[in-house]
Amino acid sequence: MIRSRYASIIAPLAIIFLGVMILLAIPQTRPVVEGFLNGAFGGRNHFNLFSTLARFSILLGMAMSVLVSFRAGLLNIGGEGQLVLGGLTAALVGVYLPGPPLYVSVVALLAAMTAGASWAVLAGLLDRVAKVPLLIGSLLLNYPASYLASYFVSHPFRDVASGATQTHRIMTEARLPRFPGTILDYGILLIGATAILVIALEKTSVFGYRVRMQGYSYGFARTSGFPTGALYYRTLIISGMIAGMTGYTAVFGLNQRYIDGMLTIPLYTWTAIAAVLLAAIIPLITPVTAFFFAMLATGAVGMERSADIPREIGQIVQAVIVLYLAGVGGKMLSGGTKEDH
Amino acid sequence: MFLDSAIIESIPRFFTPVLLAAIGSALCERAAVFNIALEGMMLVGAFAAVVGCVYTGSWMGGIGFAIVAGAAFGLIFSFFGVQRGGDDIIVSIGLNVLAIGLTAFLLRALFGVQGQFEDPRIVEIPKVNLGPVADIPFIGDLLSGQSILVWFAVLMVFATHFFLNNHYYGLRIRAAGQNASALRSVGVSPERVKTVALVACGILCALGGAQLSISNVTLFTEGMSAGRGWIALVIVMMCSARLPWILPTAILFGLVDAMGFRMQGLGLPQQLTEALPYLLAIVVLIIAFRRKSIRQQALGQSES
Amino acid sequence: MQIESQVQPAVCRLNGISKSFGDIQALRDVTFEVRKGEFLAIVGENGAGKSTAMGVLFGLLEPDAGHITFAGERRKLKSARDAIDAGFGMVHQHFKLYPDLTVLENVLVGYEGANGFGLVPFQERRKAVASLIREFEFTLDLDRKISDMPVDARQQVEIVKMLFRGASVVILDEPTAVLTPQECVTLYAMLKRLCAQGKSVVLITHKLGEVMDHSERVLVMRHGALVAERKTSETDQGELAELMVGRQIETVEKISRIQPQVVASLQGVSVQSESDKPRLDGVSIELRAGEIFGVAGVTGNGQKELVNAVMGLEKNAAGQIIFQGRDIGGLTVAERRQIGIGYMAEDRMTIGLATRGTIAENLIAGREGSSPKGAVREGHSGFSSYGFLHWRQIRDHAQRLVKNYDIRTPSAMQRVGNLSGGNQQKVVVARELSAAPKLLVVENPCWGVDVGAISFIHRQILQLAETGAAILLISNDLEELFELSDRVGVMFEGRMNRVFDRSELDAFAVGAAMSGDEEQRP
Repeated sequence: MIRSRYASIIAPLAIIFLGVMILLAIPQTRPVVEGFLNGAFGGRNHFNLFSTLARFSILLGMAMSVLVSFRAGLLNIGGEGQLVLGGLTAALVGVYLPGPPLYVSVVALLAAMTAGASWAVLAGLLDRVAKVPLLIGSLLLNYPASYLASYFVSHPFRDVASGATQTHRIMTEARLPRFPGTILDYGILLIGATAILVIALEKTSVFGYRVRMQGYSYGFARTSGFPTGALYYRTLIISGMIAGMTGYTAVFGLNQRYIDGMLTIPLYTWTAIAAVLLAAIIPLITPVTAFFFAMLATGAVGMERSADIPREIGQIVQAVIVLYLAGVGGKMLSGGTKEDH
Repeated sequence: MFLDSAIIESIPRFFTPVLLAAIGSALCERAAVFNIALEGMMLVGAFAAVVGCVYTGSWMGGIGFAIVAGAAFGLIFSFFGVQRGGDDIIVSIGLNVLAIGLTAFLLRALFGVQGQFEDPRIVEIPKVNLGPVADIPFIGDLLSGQSILVWFAVLMVFATHFFLNNHYYGLRIRAAGQNASALRSVGVSPERVKTVALVACGILCALGGAQLSISNVTLFTEGMSAGRGWIALVIVMMCSARLPWILPTAILFGLVDAMGFRMQGLGLPQQLTEALPYLLAIVVLIIAFRRKSIRQQALGQSES
Repeated sequence: MQIESQVQPAVCRLNGISKSFGDIQALRDVTFEVRKGEFLAIVGENGAGKSTAMGVLFGLLEPDAGHITFAGERRKLKSARDAIDAGFGMVHQHFKLYPDLTVLENVLVGYEGANGFGLVPFQERRKAVASLIREFEFTLDLDRKISDMPVDARQQVEIVKMLFRGASVVILDEPTAVLTPQECVTLYAMLKRLCAQGKSVVLITHKLGEVMDHSERVLVMRHGALVAERKTSETDQGELAELMVGRQIETVEKISRIQPQVVASLQGVSVQSESDKPRLDGVSIELRAGEIFGVAGVTGNGQKELVNAVMGLEKNAAGQIIFQGRDIGGLTVAERRQIGIGYMAEDRMTIGLATRGTIAENLIAGREGSSPKGAVREGHSGFSSYGFLHWRQIRDHAQRLVKNYDIRTPSAMQRVGNLSGGNQQKVVVARELSAAPKLLVVENPCWGVDVGAISFIHRQILQLAETGAAILLISNDLEELFELSDRVGVMFEGRMNRVFDRSELDAFAVGAAMSGDEEQRP
């Protein structure tokens, strides 16, 4: 059965590759493809490539957050709320905490991770204590989180002088350093390290094993004596921490402040979920699919510049991929219990 | 914050989109289709309604385009979710993102605009004026001068309830949701029944979207559905898809929405009032699910 | 009871039916007929082809070769609907009922008789169904929801459905798996009435005792072919069993080796519920080393709560549970497993196993932590240290168990979901027994497992008892309980009122206790 699943992924990939080659050949469509590739990888001094990597950094972070939950069988789609609160907290610490830069940076990171983890745990409490299904609870919590952040940034903590809906700049010295000559900051290293850790530990650690088994079957985990409650909350905490950390890198990296909508408008979390699903919730493949979606987004911008095709085509392609994936993937998230009986 | 005529008059405007989506969601629930793409279906309906108005010059064209868009989304869901056996949650995610991307894309491609689209060609849906009834205090404000979709929505609640319980296809929809293979063994295709439920849901959500874009206001904004699809889902979950309960619950949410709007006028920040329905939803879900789990325990079902 | 009657005309006939699924030949040139008013039994192991043959008969499967005739005429059945229209009715092992709909609605789905507007004429249909119920002497409340009804009543609804559609041939697939002995009696009486009215009954079962008691003719299937046809009066259980398997079956020898020391004792174990009636009410049992204590009872009378209380899965358990002299009431599931209590859950697909996991992963569940007790028992250094797994040890362990427990699989890293039912169960057996538990709780170990694996598993359980372990065996299969147990306790409404010694075991006495009937003895 897995063989046929690979077949249904390789076949369309081959078709797409062929299609792209053909489009490159035809003179009318050539600029479109070139614009896409340029948008993803090109630009002066490869500016766009670094733009893609910057986007990839955030997507990878969120993908890891989602992966940890999904792998454990937890349908936590509250990543957006965790990301936003993490970013906001990091920004507030970065702006208002006095002290040496390294200290501010580290405190901001820890605060962001705590904020993200707390929001995730809140969704967990709604599920375990109040019996509100995690899928719904975590999703519903996204909205108050976004609205709260939006409010803070529009009124009490707004940098009015700048004219935009954003906070003040964080302490300049505390920001994440950049790769020389580029706009890419070291945040990608942090996230990359986290990704490696997640992927490695999933397979080799006892915690990873238990969480995976619990994801396969909660009843099995209980009967085998796993500490299901602890595993449940620990998974959510890790998920939330990674999301919060991602928010921190977004704020302390490129932007150096929290701008209203910077984490929600690009649909980072939904894209990350799509990336995890496309990777069939397999840890090793997730960074690849995350990069693919990053490339898709920036390539679309390039296509808009060169061929005048609105960049939202990227989102449409992403959606179509998810739909196609659903059609071949079977009941990946709902588990095997929706049987015909 | 008191119930004056302005608020009362505004409540139906607020509850109609959510109510329509909730009816559609209830149908899907009964057919055991876990459709959480209500947001996307509503959004495309809102957009299609505007496009329809602009291209046909009439509100009927707007409604017609919305119906087509909603039905199309229902069919797409059916194709990937029901026919191909895809995971309903994943299909829903795909459709929601598709709606966001497609509407933004077409907004640029067709009208050359980003963010918001206003145009004198957008025609408002007619309102129903009840003549002398309008003069009755409170009730008059509530009943008269509401768009036809409001009346449609309320009537649909009762019609759908009757349909599910008395029509043979309503019976089959309920059957499909409880035991699809049993339905198959009497020669009825559960896939077809679920598709019908999905298409109906798509149309209803799209009409809810139309209420947003060519009645409540006459413009389209990106992301216009603003989470109402999720509220509709919450309503259906709370009421266990029982239609007689969906109407008062939707009205309750409409009331909260209306009060939030009023509070904005009184100076409370927009973001906080917009968060109100979600906080209410969470509170209400806690109550509903706790009660459900207590009832389950009483029946001797062990905790999973 | 066999009725000698002259051979009746054939109602339908399968002629030379063959069917394969890919490489597997499920049916090989099968030919037989069903006669009017007869009680025909079809027996065979799992995978012998009985269900496939019924699938063809019922229009769900299209044969690769051969044809079906009805009263002499060839008929092509393209769907279940065609079969129903032709006069077939089938009661599947898993009922095709809608839990939240009423009895009346269940009968009507698909046959609503809607008018021009599509509205269902409920009044008129209700009268028709009610008169049918009266005619065949059923007892059903038309407005009751299926989910509120006991199993035997639901079975009646299935039969009413068929009769409502005018079935002349009634096929039942393993109908008595879920019934008490008394309910079986009622069912067979009902089926005899159908035969008397000219309907044909086809019974698919593996319960040879019932075949001998009630049928007139028996067909034996093996590996997709029809290997024998007998008049029931001219054969016996032993011959049928041999024909089914194709060889002599070794019967399992039960030798009681009970030792005096008490391994575990339950005293007044109870589980409350939200309503007044407790789900488990003061159960007290003493289990000695080497003893197999069977628990009989209709599902839902407290067995699940008993098991959960012993294993530590029930939060609201009251009373004392003492294991090897120690009160284990406060211990978690993991702790109980570590001190030597094992558990084979009845639901292997969702609880006993994680089917998406590999065999190796499933085999170490519960022992993956590096606790010294778990490590020392099997003589190796444990499966993990400082939170990291030793995959090499895990693989070796898995390969060893695959060999010792005869698990048919290409590799120990195979996904459990790809194994057959019997082999999946062997993985559970391997995992639990290799931990050498002192107390093993087993639920329905042979559900859905074929005959060969059944005797293997029974032998394993007996061997474990011989090593001095105590076994708590919960089962719906009275034959299994009678074969293996030293004592049998019967659960009814949360209480264990009657405990039978091995010498007192009698199907009707046990059945009476299962129905709460204290007085009835043959």
